[in-house]
Amino acid sequence: MSEWVHVGQTSDIDEEDLIRFDHEDGRTFAVYNTEKGFFATDGFCTHEAQHLEDGLVIGTVIECPLHQGRFDVTNGRALSAPACVDLKTYPVKLEGDEIYIEI
Amino acid sequence: MPTETAFVATNWQSSGIKIDKKRLKQLCKRYDKPGLIYLAKWALALFVSGAVVWATLGTWLVWPAMIAYGTIMMVPGYCLSHETAHGTPFRSRWLNETVLWVTSFIYMEEPLHRRMHHTSHHTFTWHIDKDSQMPFDTPMDFKGWLIEISGISLLKYHIKELLELTVGHFSQHTREVSQVGDLPKMARGARIFMAIYLGIAIAIFMGQLWLLWFLVLPRFLGIPAMMLYGLIQHVELQENSPSILESTRSFKTNAFGRFLYANMNFHCEHHLFPQVPFYALPELNREIRDQLPEPDPGFFRTQFEVLSVVIRRSLKKNTKAKSIRQAPHMITEGGYQPIATKSM
Repeated sequence: MSEWVHVGQTSDIDEEDLIRFDHEDGRTFAVYNTEKGFFATDGFCTHEAQHLEDGLVIGTVIECPLHQGRFDVTNGRALSAPACVDLKTYPVKLEGDEIYIEI
Repeated sequence: MPTETAFVATNWQSSGIKIDKKRLKQLCKRYDKPGLIYLAKWALALFVSGAVVWATLGTWLVWPAMIAYGTIMMVPGYCLSHETAHGTPFRSRWLNETVLWVTSFIYMEEPLHRRMHHTSHHTFTWHIDKDSQMPFDTPMDFKGWLIEISGISLLKYHIKELLELTVGHFSQHTREVSQVGDLPKMARGARIFMAIYLGIAIAIFMGQLWLLWFLVLPRFLGIPAMMLYGLIQHVELQENSPSILESTRSFKTNAFGRFLYANMNFHCEHHLFPQVPFYALPELNREIRDQLPEPDPGFFRTQFEVLSVVIRRSLKKNTKAKSIRQAPHMITEGGYQPIATKSM
């Protein structure tokens, strides 16, 4: 059963950047502000489970800070080695300045 | 869903370094221009030194000219292969991957193999049996130094890995650092490289001697300089430490050294923050230098001290260096116990 969870405000995330969101159930997510809008994915890189919160956002690509594996945050697709398993993505909606993700 | 990592990757967090996250992200920003300027400088240096080789052909002066040309080919070539394996020097991905393929061809390592093995060097920097790029046994003695600097050990490793990849055989280390889908891509890359190497050999045999003078011979004559730069990244420092500050060495150098080595003299900084491009490392250094050990003295002084230590170790004499950093167990008198066996 999915639910919409409030993760913050649009002003919390700089352009071409992301924030970490830790849910109370233990799961962790990454929420992005990109040129194409806001997106959300799992928080950990699929390569070696490094959290993406310190990663670099380039356009709609998130680059893992540990080994520079890259993912398209709009669909989670792994773009370049060492990452080859896709990231799970989550729907995002805005209500005014408030950001929600469906998990 | 992936969960918190079971290991501690060796980086800024494991080393206790503090940096403002917004500042870090500024330093990570990617641009094409600095990398293209570096490429242009490299091309110019190759052209000028290559012209000197051309002008001195037939005289004894061709050999020092070839060593200079080979050094300019191999040290920046190795650095660019390394940087592009990280994917950091260019914003445009196609540019990054093109330079990765060309420079890895010169370096003689299949590009994806280079990238995947280097991930393990960063996750487990200088950790015995985990870091798949420990190029020599530790502590190093004089025999080990000679083998390392000659490039023989690295050449054997590269040829063995290329041949094995070509026939679809993957070493234990390669399987450990790669994901299943990577292996066929590595095999394909190795076959492309081997086909081009074979083509070059045939062309030389058919009389295209410029390939011998401007590609093959300088590739081998430039290796010792490349190995000397690589040697001092971790030699005499601490194995199995979570802290990059204990396992890795930065050293001082002049503007020419920084060009030749693409700022990798800031090696602690690079291992702490591998996501920062080479052109931003001096700025990163200014940001965190008060948290780092003093860099070791210049390239030649550091090399001289390392050589002095390894000779004295072979002679079973005191191995304390005059000024370069050493892990405490590297300083012995009257012999030493082997610690780590090379992984490549």
